[in-house]
Amino acid sequence: MLAVAALLAAACRTDTGSTSGAAGKSVSTSIVRGGEIVASVRSEPRTFNRLTARDTTTDLVSELTQAKLVRINKVTQAVEPWLAESWTLAADRRTYTIRLRQNLTFSDGHPFTADDVVFAFAAVYDEKTGSILADSLKAGGKTLTVSASDPQTVVVTFPFAFAPGVRLLENLPILPRHKLEPALKAGKLADAWGLSTPPSEVVGMGPFVLREYTPGQRLRFERNPRYWRRAPDGGPLPYLDRVTVDVIPDQNAELLRLESGQIDTMSGEVVPESYATMKRAAGEGRVQLLDLGPVLWADSFWFNLKPGAFAGDARAAWLQRDELRRAISMAVDRKAFADAVFLGAGEPVYSFVTPANKEWYWTGTPATPHDPAGAKALLASIGLTDRNGDGLMEDASGQPARFSIVTQKGRPRLERGAAVVRDELKKIGLTVDVALLDANAVIERLVSGRYEAAMYPILPTDTDPGTNPDFWFSSGSFHLWNMSQPKPATDWERRIDELMAQQIGSADYAERKRLFDEVQQILYEHQPVVYFAAQKWYVAVSSRLVNVAPALYQPLPVLWAADTIAVRPR
Amino acid sequence: MTRYIIRRLAFALFLVVAVSSASLLLAGAVPGDFASGTLGLEGARRDRLEQARERYGLDKPLAVQYRDWVAHAVRLDFGNSLLYDRPVGDLIPERAVNTAVLALTALTLATLVGLPLGIVVGSRHGGLMPSAIRAGSVVLLSMPPLLTSLFLVFVAARTGWLPISGMRSAVAPPGGAALDVLRHLVVPAAAIALPLAAMFERLQSQAMREVVRQPYVLAAVARGASRSRVVWRDALKAALRPIAAVYGLVVGTLLSGSFAVEVITAWPGLGRLMLEALSARDVYLVAGCAGMGSIFLAVATLFSDVALAFVDPRVTE
Repeated sequence: MLAVAALLAAACRTDTGSTSGAAGKSVSTSIVRGGEIVASVRSEPRTFNRLTARDTTTDLVSELTQAKLVRINKVTQAVEPWLAESWTLAADRRTYTIRLRQNLTFSDGHPFTADDVVFAFAAVYDEKTGSILADSLKAGGKTLTVSASDPQTVVVTFPFAFAPGVRLLENLPILPRHKLEPALKAGKLADAWGLSTPPSEVVGMGPFVLREYTPGQRLRFERNPRYWRRAPDGGPLPYLDRVTVDVIPDQNAELLRLESGQIDTMSGEVVPESYATMKRAAGEGRVQLLDLGPVLWADSFWFNLKPGAFAGDARAAWLQRDELRRAISMAVDRKAFADAVFLGAGEPVYSFVTPANKEWYWTGTPATPHDPAGAKALLASIGLTDRNGDGLMEDASGQPARFSIVTQKGRPRLERGAAVVRDELKKIGLTVDVALLDANAVIERLVSGRYEAAMYPILPTDTDPGTNPDFWFSSGSFHLWNMSQPKPATDWERRIDELMAQQIGSADYAERKRLFDEVQQILYEHQPVVYFAAQKWYVAVSSRLVNVAPALYQPLPVLWAADTIAVRPR
Repeated sequence: MTRYIIRRLAFALFLVVAVSSASLLLAGAVPGDFASGTLGLEGARRDRLEQARERYGLDKPLAVQYRDWVAHAVRLDFGNSLLYDRPVGDLIPERAVNTAVLALTALTLATLVGLPLGIVVGSRHGGLMPSAIRAGSVVLLSMPPLLTSLFLVFVAARTGWLPISGMRSAVAPPGGAALDVLRHLVVPAAAIALPLAAMFERLQSQAMREVVRQPYVLAAVARGASRSRVVWRDALKAALRPIAAVYGLVVGTLLSGSFAVEVITAWPGLGRLMLEALSARDVYLVAGCAGMGSIFLAVATLFSDVALAFVDPRVTE
């Protein structure tokens, strides 16, 4: 898949020649500097403060205006030096000495020093700020110790030898201490950089600066003349002078604008319903349609496995049993699921880690057969059979075998996915009710544990499992099926905890891979989360964009590398 | 008449208070809130959620939130939008003006097209033109504004003649900002105006058809007055009454209810703001938008009622 993505990236550059782009591949020496692109998002940013919100538009503002110590190349998944020029790991395998690039300044001209890095860590770990990024910058739930040994050197000490190492640092935008320190000291950092903040106050070290925000209409970014990164020809980056981001709430209008050349790129993928239209537009040369292959993360389907979640409910005897989930996995025809949900643009998957994640996917993942008879036999083993001959199953107490799936309304693939599961399970006699709620309500239900089963997209920030401990460890706040356990509720979760503890502590990739394969094997056996199909991703950009590095990075497949995008001369 | 106006004003005030209160309470009562949406599932750890709720003032019981809101609202402070981090009292007028521009343009277009066509169709017996107009109106009436706007956006995209969405270009093109807004206005205004014009045509033609059968009209024609003079001068006055009765209602619903068109065409009006507020569960903004919508409705209805009262004093009884 990565090879395909790289090829596609190269394909986008075919008529421009060769040197080096976001993916580190050869691109043009004849790229024209200047120009403007218009992108679109579906909603307003929640804030300009990335520490407190994670919506796509806030993320986009941060990507364009802020920089990090390291960057994970979303095409190759390799760690690249960014504000950090280089680093060394001490013999204790815990302490990184990071050398910062020299003579860098923020967009307002203020010098960048190691104190800004220390400040950024203090801000993200600040209890009063309650940053959503804090957990992603912890190793084993513990904070990193950060100090500045001189203005150009930062020493980062992990609480233990942490295998992903500096990959973690990609999660932290380096915020300007000179602008935000008073807010941090006053305990008001969470309120800083709200949408009423004048754009000139939002300074950073990203390729662009926010020039104008018109609520309900658009955000305008101009190139940061102090941006530190240079193009392969030694010239300044970014190539573009301006990026305008229009807020277009309706997806159909967004696609029509792209098709007609009024915007250059969208924040997300081409939805299956629009694929044919976009393919036609690509055939006519109006857009470039980029095929990135199946996504890294399929939508998750899981049951509430919190002990006592169904206390007093007769269904408690079977709702949390492994056999139920294994039976569901067998009962759903994944090919039919992919055809119905993704209109054919999907592939069956059987694990949280999909084959697209080449580095960590367990190649031994068995392909669960579509076997309704086997599913019925499994259900019979937990007392679910058709006792009254009406074609629907009842439990041992004669109650209907019935449960509900909570999912988000307004997202066709989730609505269709839940409907397919309902229909497939009906064929084996299980009755499913689908509850469509808006996103806020779904999150509320999942976090408070007031649900039976759920279908929802889960998007980890990185492909390395060591950077997503909240998902893997039973104590994790993102351990979907039973969050924040004081101690592992089951033996298999205890075993996963042990394996993951070893996995994130090992320096040897082969050993880490072996351990993680075992984790995936346990997950496959117990199926706490069931996966049915991964969507094939298509991204469309206007035909005038060049040097694009499309990646399977779900929020921002194109604009993650905005500094190297250029436009074809008119 | 004065008592009548005072009575209508009191009802308008009641409407605004009731609608905005109900909106705030309903938006606050449904599961999920602004904090959970902002943090997302990945960030919505329970302690962090509580912290965010405290910051936004959502940790208090709904009744207390409502009481505080009312206490501020009587001083014309409608709270701060959680989404935009700005006073609701500042945000609403900005968007309301945009909605008013769109709605009044659409209304003017619809009136200028719909009424004359209705008069023409209603005053004639048969013929190709009235039939064609009638058929066109039925088609337009059966298409909801959502479909009309999608169709017009599609046409604009295909031809490239007009901007598809938004209210202004990022950089004002030659011709100036006013011309730029006008060009952006065409698609959304037409999307609202076309079904509305069809409705006016239908109402007006039916009213006209009834009036031209009245004895006084027939008598005037029989006395030798020209038919067009009778229709446009005498019959029209009487036939306008049904239109006047619904006009206020139409204006009110137009101003408060152009949601679909504003969303499809990304017009930054009140409808879109309301949708954003509802999606984000920005309870204070929801209350503000609903209140503003009801103000539009109340004021428009009031004007319509007063106008009708002048035409027909019996309605004040």
